[in-house]
Amino acid sequence: MAKGPSLPATDHDTVAQTLAAFVNANIMARGRRIQPDDDFEMMGIDSMALLKVLLFVEAEFGFWPPDEDLVTENLRSPRVLAHYICRRRSVP
Amino acid sequence: MALGSTGQGDGASNNALLVVHCDGPLAPERVTRSLERLLDFCPWPAARLRRPFPWGKLHWAAGRRTALAPPPVGWRAVATPEAFHQAVDAELNTAIDPRREPPLRFLILDGAPDTVGAPSVLVMTWFHPLMDPRGAQNLLRHLSVLDDHVGDSPWGTAVPAFAPTPDARPLRERGRLARKSVEYMRSVSRMPSGAPRAGRNGPVRFRQESFIDRDPAVSHDRATREIWWRLAVVGKALREVWARRGLPDVPVLLPIAVDLRPKGEPGPTFGNMLAFHFARFQPSDTADTTRLANALRNQMADAVRQGQIEANEVAMTFLQYRPLPMIRRAVRWISGGDTFSFNCADVTEFPAALARCFGRRVVNAYHVPAVPPRPGIGVFFNRCAGRNNLVVAWIDGVLSEDDVNRIVEIVREEMGWLGTP
Repeated sequence: MAKGPSLPATDHDTVAQTLAAFVNANIMARGRRIQPDDDFEMMGIDSMALLKVLLFVEAEFGFWPPDEDLVTENLRSPRVLAHYICRRRSVP
Repeated sequence: MALGSTGQGDGASNNALLVVHCDGPLAPERVTRSLERLLDFCPWPAARLRRPFPWGKLHWAAGRRTALAPPPVGWRAVATPEAFHQAVDAELNTAIDPRREPPLRFLILDGAPDTVGAPSVLVMTWFHPLMDPRGAQNLLRHLSVLDDHVGDSPWGTAVPAFAPTPDARPLRERGRLARKSVEYMRSVSRMPSGAPRAGRNGPVRFRQESFIDRDPAVSHDRATREIWWRLAVVGKALREVWARRGLPDVPVLLPIAVDLRPKGEPGPTFGNMLAFHFARFQPSDTADTTRLANALRNQMADAVRQGQIEANEVAMTFLQYRPLPMIRRAVRWISGGDTFSFNCADVTEFPAALARCFGRRVVNAYHVPAVPPRPGIGVFFNRCAGRNNLVVAWIDGVLSEDDVNRIVEIVREEMGWLGTP
């Protein structure tokens, strides 16, 4: 998997862009690009593809989300996931 | 899984079906015309399975365009729901011999809507190693596009890639990955697993039911659409069936197919585009669906971290169409050892691009995948036109009608579905 640059997790927009870039480079077909506000499921991101995104989060941001956090409210789009990551990172 | 029997005289059917219900009569000549035109771009619908010499590797072979004939397209009127089901059942069980006939065929069934569920039903039947269920959807999509563009080439110079691009990595690297996967599969097959252990050939039976969501708010919750949740629900249903049979309470082993196509476009049609992960759980784990679904997701995450999915993808390219004795040496469960406990897959949403097909609106569509003799049980999901489809397929004798009723009822209840009006 491609690995992006380490980022300050408080920058929601940068995190969302990083997630979208990962999805476009590793999951989407060439010519079909996902944007930060696109719904993952509407863009064809299935269970396995979403798992790859979570593994990228683990590699890039250093944590695997606990089971109770793996809900639609945190996983709907790159931006929504970015907000979750930033919230999570800001908690000591 | 594109392994096992090639239908060479063992009496087993390796057929898989895509059943498409349309809102008006379908014309067989339009399907034939599209197939004929597709052969100008892609020979595989007219290919034969060949072996260069008795111990050689099986492969698809197609002659020159002038020698290619489109697969057959049949038509039949059906007067009762029983006649409809018998006709589909015959398609499922009339084995295709891919050495001597095209690897796929079509049948149009016409009848009153209360007979077949729609005025016209298209049944696509194929020898399952030819393509997977999404490949079948892609084929139908290509045929539909050709039907919409009579007289011109719909793709211009951008003709779709009908088959996967060969892996460009060196043979040495691919061999290393394949060995890693085969070792893993051997280790999995050495552990005991619970299953009816049918291990016999026989007619395949199936039941298809459609449901709607009981609570639209729940339908918006992605969790229940994840494959882990559905596997857990099916595991719960089968646990009850096995408990009623008095089968031992031993761990469950099942393959999870991973679709390797890039997302956002159809991807290849023919050939293998699936890799497999092998999940395991205790029957008692099914008491808590959420917890089991999380555990299955975590198992898959571990498999990806360890590179097992990538390795299996490569191993499949080596194993596919190899002579059976070679596959038996590589993977024990093929040779009659321990087996999977059940098959389960979700083909997800039927493509929006197939909302219309051969001039008719698609009102429902579902898959009946091939069911190998071991374990002889498959439970499959997909969604089309707002319906949740559930298909249970089994080798005759592995499940009773009462077993199937319970499986359908447990899955319906756990998924929060209601019967269609």
